[in-house]
Amino acid sequence: MSILFERFDAHCGCAPQKFGTISANVKLVAIIPGYNEGQRIGDTVRGALPHVHSVLVVDDGSPDDTALQAKKAGAIVIRHCVNRGQGAALRTGMEGAVALGADVIVQIDADGQHDPSFIPTVAAPIVQGIADVVFGSRFMGVEAEGMTQGRRLLLHAARTFNAFAVGVPTHLTDPQSGYRAFSAAAARVVDFRQDRMAHCSEILRLVTRSKTLRWQEVPVRVRYTADSMRKGQKPWDAARIAWQLLMGAFTK
Amino acid sequence: MLIQIVFVPIMLAALFVTWRRAWQRVIRPGEAFVWTIVWGGAAITISLPMVSGRLAAVFGVGRGADFIVYSSVALLYLLVFRLFVDHVKVERQLTLIVRREALRDLPVKSNQP
Repeated sequence: MSILFERFDAHCGCAPQKFGTISANVKLVAIIPGYNEGQRIGDTVRGALPHVHSVLVVDDGSPDDTALQAKKAGAIVIRHCVNRGQGAALRTGMEGAVALGADVIVQIDADGQHDPSFIPTVAAPIVQGIADVVFGSRFMGVEAEGMTQGRRLLLHAARTFNAFAVGVPTHLTDPQSGYRAFSAAAARVVDFRQDRMAHCSEILRLVTRSKTLRWQEVPVRVRYTADSMRKGQKPWDAARIAWQLLMGAFTK
Repeated sequence: MLIQIVFVPIMLAALFVTWRRAWQRVIRPGEAFVWTIVWGGAAITISLPMVSGRLAAVFGVGRGADFIVYSSVALLYLLVFRLFVDHVKVERQLTLIVRREALRDLPVKSNQP
């Protein structure tokens, strides 16, 4: 089995170019944290499976049938017995993927926002050995579908906040993207502990300020729907994230 | 005079319990010192009201009673913040337990070739 990888020119937004085939020796695992995603998780898993060796779903204590639907769709499922938040579920997924022998771990959201056909794009720099962590960006030439102007402004505000409060470089275009990839080695050293929404800023801080990890951004396509917008982050969540980061600074 | 009769013995009892717990190694000596400052400070301020007046003058607050209110509010903020931090620590420990349980269910082999 081989997986075709596509590459986008990060800055010009050119059309995707095939650049080669990757050996089946590289084991890609997609991790999908989900909470009450019973209606969407099946499609997300089925969308991701053709691009990876396995999909690991972390059901974050959902009262609905998220775990059952994910399993039916072909995912490996593990379950938090109580809800611990997206950051905690991602960390569980990372540890699980490493235990499964993953070489590259791709994180995607359960609600179907992340276009799974970009999994190879996100994984490619790691497979090529030129990056340890890759962040998918909504602002590098691939237009996000259904992104409101309010959401766009919020993400730009988040970039400023992350620069001043967390120390994330301003040339990082999308500080709130959940579409990421880690090499197995990076997954072992990125010690993020924020259980809930602030994990995104924490991961960015740990990766971009690391002296050893190489990182880069690649363009990804995100599709917003009324459903995903309803469940997604709200403007007032910014205050909650700031508070969680403050508490995290005093909790070692 | 009534306030001194009621509260000073309470403060002394609190001091006694604090050091008894420190002696029993329930709390650390550092914590016992902090609580000694709190209870001792309260006992002195209640016994000698002019002390709070002097402190108020030093900090430019005005009246001694105002100084006590302001410093109490600041102390309460500090304690609430401490509670929040402790809460986050407990939450993270809970996450570790939940994660360990979840990973125990992980099948050894993946479901895809």
